[in-house]
Amino acid sequence: MKRSWYASPYALWMLLFAVVPLLFVCWYAFTTPDGTFTLSNFQEFVKPRYMGVILRSLKLALYCTVLCLVIGYPTAYFLAGRGFNHAQSLVVLILLPMWMNLLLRTYAMMTLLDDNGVLNAALEALGLGKIHVIGTEGAVLMGLVYNYLPFMVLPIYTVLKKMDYSVIEAAEDLGCNPLRVITRVVIPMSVPGIVSGITMVFMPAVTSFAISTLLSNGKIRLAGDLIDYIFNQSSNPTRWNIGSSFSLIMLVLILISIGFLRKVDPDNEGGGMW
Amino acid sequence: MVQDMRLIELKGVCKNFGDTHVLHDVDLYIRKCEFITLLGPSGCGKTTLLRIIGGFEMPSSGEVLFEGSDLTGIPPYKRRINTVFQKYALFNHLNVYDNIAFGLNLKTPEQLGVGSKKEKKAEIDRRVRRMLKLVKMEGYEKRSIDALSGGQQQRIAIARALVNEPEVLLLDEPLGALDLKLRKEMQLELKSMQQQLGITFIYVTHDQEEALTMSDTIAVINGGRIQQIGDPKRIYDEPNNAFVADFIGESNILDGVMLEDDLVKFCDTEFQCVDEGFGTNEPVDVVVRPEDVMLVGEDVGMLTGTVQSVIFKGVHYEMMICGDGNGFNWKVHSTTMQPAGSRVGMTIVPYNIHIMHKATTADAVPVQQKPSKEA
Repeated sequence: MKRSWYASPYALWMLLFAVVPLLFVCWYAFTTPDGTFTLSNFQEFVKPRYMGVILRSLKLALYCTVLCLVIGYPTAYFLAGRGFNHAQSLVVLILLPMWMNLLLRTYAMMTLLDDNGVLNAALEALGLGKIHVIGTEGAVLMGLVYNYLPFMVLPIYTVLKKMDYSVIEAAEDLGCNPLRVITRVVIPMSVPGIVSGITMVFMPAVTSFAISTLLSNGKIRLAGDLIDYIFNQSSNPTRWNIGSSFSLIMLVLILISIGFLRKVDPDNEGGGMW
Repeated sequence: MVQDMRLIELKGVCKNFGDTHVLHDVDLYIRKCEFITLLGPSGCGKTTLLRIIGGFEMPSSGEVLFEGSDLTGIPPYKRRINTVFQKYALFNHLNVYDNIAFGLNLKTPEQLGVGSKKEKKAEIDRRVRRMLKLVKMEGYEKRSIDALSGGQQQRIAIARALVNEPEVLLLDEPLGALDLKLRKEMQLELKSMQQQLGITFIYVTHDQEEALTMSDTIAVINGGRIQQIGDPKRIYDEPNNAFVADFIGESNILDGVMLEDDLVKFCDTEFQCVDEGFGTNEPVDVVVRPEDVMLVGEDVGMLTGTVQSVIFKGVHYEMMICGDGNGFNWKVHSTTMQPAGSRVGMTIVPYNIHIMHKATTADAVPVQQKPSKEA
């Protein structure tokens, strides 16, 4: 038996549950409910009420990625540092939330941020008055960052951990002060990890759903929620067609982003999953 | 040429890592333009000593002077010292050219002796190209580091350090990863580069042959102490103690007793020697190089023995000869072969018998560095 046959269960699985459904999606996207070819489904996309959602998704995913990078990079740098003996346990702590279901985590976030939740109780106890968080974009952003931060920390941590410490000493030796060691050597050398982290945060963030709905009481919809909403709209006869065309558009957007990031890290050294 | 000026001076340098004493009270000076090798077995403290000079480690006590002023607390990036690291530590996000230009790019135009940023770029280009020529890597500017062989990476690491025109270049076993032939080539190239540029080289190795080939001065280190400092010939011919004798080249080390000046007894035989100033009947270590044992007829030898084994080594044969009487196993190098099992006589001329005080590394006598560049 040829070695490639060992992958046949996976190939079959992918064929049945990824390739065939994708063909269905394409079919629906380019046809009307009665089966004739059309591009009108894609025209729906430019309607302001849909376009606004897509743009907001991109914006929030971008903010989320930047925040994750700003928070995650120093964390990873600290964890990967020499002479820090508790790195393993801290990495486990960072991973721990990922072992729980995303919805559970988001529900927990709701209770924390609710108008009568833990955060406001604490603020009131301190005499600072309540703040309204749930339902704002800020709440959604917090939810996204909370859920995707580990995906930024881990690839950067892995790359930094693998970095030979003598490279840092070489930089010092050649005249880098501590700041320049970081800007000239550590960051450039960890680009593969950064690229991997950005991909692993941005992709799921831009297509995420449920997080936004839950943390905004359904007021803020992102692209994922939109597609979900369109498919479940019982009154619209073209819902499957428009939903499919939107799914395809998101797919193309993600492919473009991957292509762009591949340019930055052609060897995929960050070990990204995308 | 080596100048008399002391460029770097270490005074009473000790280094502990926790309870482990890595360096004990090291005194050493390094002269301008000197090629000095720190030689010793793994774990002897030679790399730690190098890292202290480079600024990557702080001495636990003692001081390091650079041109007379204290270097303690001055970070590596402010020292006029550059390092070639053991595993090269090249920046693989940069190509060959940018690796070499790395240190120069960090400098201001004034530091490079030019007026404007534009001139700086031209000056960097000039220096990088000169270095590429020196290490024979012209045409490799745009290559990525990962596309280079070990020997090529090694040359780039040297160029990257030398391009900054440091006062001192530290080299931490830079040839360790290369094959024998390439290593020998690089040894000669390094030596000629050092002479050409007039830069002080401090070289760390455990390879005694490498040390003998390249150095003006060798400091033999063991157990965190300097065992002997001197030029290669002196170290080889007049080892201070049994450790140095054993580490530098091969040796027969025997227990002996000094009967009087110029007369020593070992293997139940009295030998004329050329060492004086030992106490009467003082127990000593006697060192005889394998090539200094002459094989003669059994009837005329000062000592007799039976050949145990013969190994062909290329230039010579190495024979193990079991001496009669105390059964000492002599290692003998000779261009003539005596087959295993044959009976032989051995003689040793007086000046090939080296007498050393019995000394272990723990209570080694402090080593005095000879103040001038004697032969």
